[in-house]
Amino acid sequence: MKNLKTLSFLTLSLIGFLDASYLAVKHYLGEPVVCSLLEGCEEVLTSKYAIVAGVPVALFGVFYYLAVFILIILYWDTGKTQFLRFAAYLTILGFAASLWFVYLQLFVIGAICLYCMASAITSTILFMLGLFIIFKTGL
Amino acid sequence: MENENNNLSRKERRELKRQEKTAEFAREAKNKTIRRIALWGSVAVVLGGAVFGAVKFAASPANNNLMASALDTISGNDWFLGDKNSKITLIEYSDFQCPACASYYPLVKQLNKELGNKILFVYRHFPLKQTHKNAEPAAWAAETAGKQGKFWGMHDMIFENQKVWSDQKNAEELFIKYAGELSLDIAKFKEDFGSKEVKEKVESDYQSGLRAGVNATPTFFLNGKQMQNPRSYEELKNTVFPDA
Repeated sequence: MKNLKTLSFLTLSLIGFLDASYLAVKHYLGEPVVCSLLEGCEEVLTSKYAIVAGVPVALFGVFYYLAVFILIILYWDTGKTQFLRFAAYLTILGFAASLWFVYLQLFVIGAICLYCMASAITSTILFMLGLFIIFKTGL
Repeated sequence: MENENNNLSRKERRELKRQEKTAEFAREAKNKTIRRIALWGSVAVVLGGAVFGAVKFAASPANNNLMASALDTISGNDWFLGDKNSKITLIEYSDFQCPACASYYPLVKQLNKELGNKILFVYRHFPLKQTHKNAEPAAWAAETAGKQGKFWGMHDMIFENQKVWSDQKNAEELFIKYAGELSLDIAKFKEDFGSKEVKEKVESDYQSGLRAGVNATPTFFLNGKQMQNPRSYEELKNTVFPDA
């Protein structure tokens, strides 16, 4: 059971990593992201909220998911719970950021970007798993 | 074994045990190192693969819908006039309800009449749905007529009567009337009009226009390059066919 939880943690962070990498690469290639399913990707990703301090938001996402991923591996490698707990605390940050981005998409930009929503979903599940880990391992 | 062990002194036996323990320790340490190398090695491979995959996917042409001049090649699904093998190709992205398109219609018709098989002319739909609410149904009507071999007949009819049906709520009824005038099978026309196939054809034209960077109608592409809209028939003809 313990392994299953960390494994899903790992898998989710990898999915998030892939998603964010795709958007970050697109940003640096200077190409618009076109979504066939919901037509909002371009609008969201070219909005002024997609870039913070000159860095595309997607790149922050890349580093966030990468950090969670590496922390889980460190936990597996060393068996030290601190790494797991650190990853779990990090997901709170990820969740808060996602809430903000979802709010921006729905109420400020008024368009939905599928890739961003996918990231919001992975970070929400990570957050829930993270809470579980925090309470399980004691505050 | 036992005999042998019995032959050893107590000190020797202790020494042997100690050695075994050290060897086991070393083995375990070695195994652990191998496991760690395998773990971090796979991490490196997975992450490297993920980044490579993301870059590759992002840079693949299938995803670069808006890369410069991604004009779709002429296919069997396109409506065309003239010679399919002609080296001069003129593709028009047009909206049946757009007044400018209607004013280009006689010029293009004249061009096709005059140059005939010297060029290949392709008509693609680019209905500006937001401003022209009847543009898409008009495109469907032309496609539906096309299923009975009368695409160009309906195309002409629609452009010639643009002012009549543009602001009508019952545009569809007018299109059906035109279908009658073109002596089409009305029952079949009605059936095909809302069909998925017809709608998809119009949508696929529209999407190809988006990929090619079309943002206004009409947009002409001469031999794959976007052309400035001509101001007169002479200008159109001289641009398309300078030798004439």
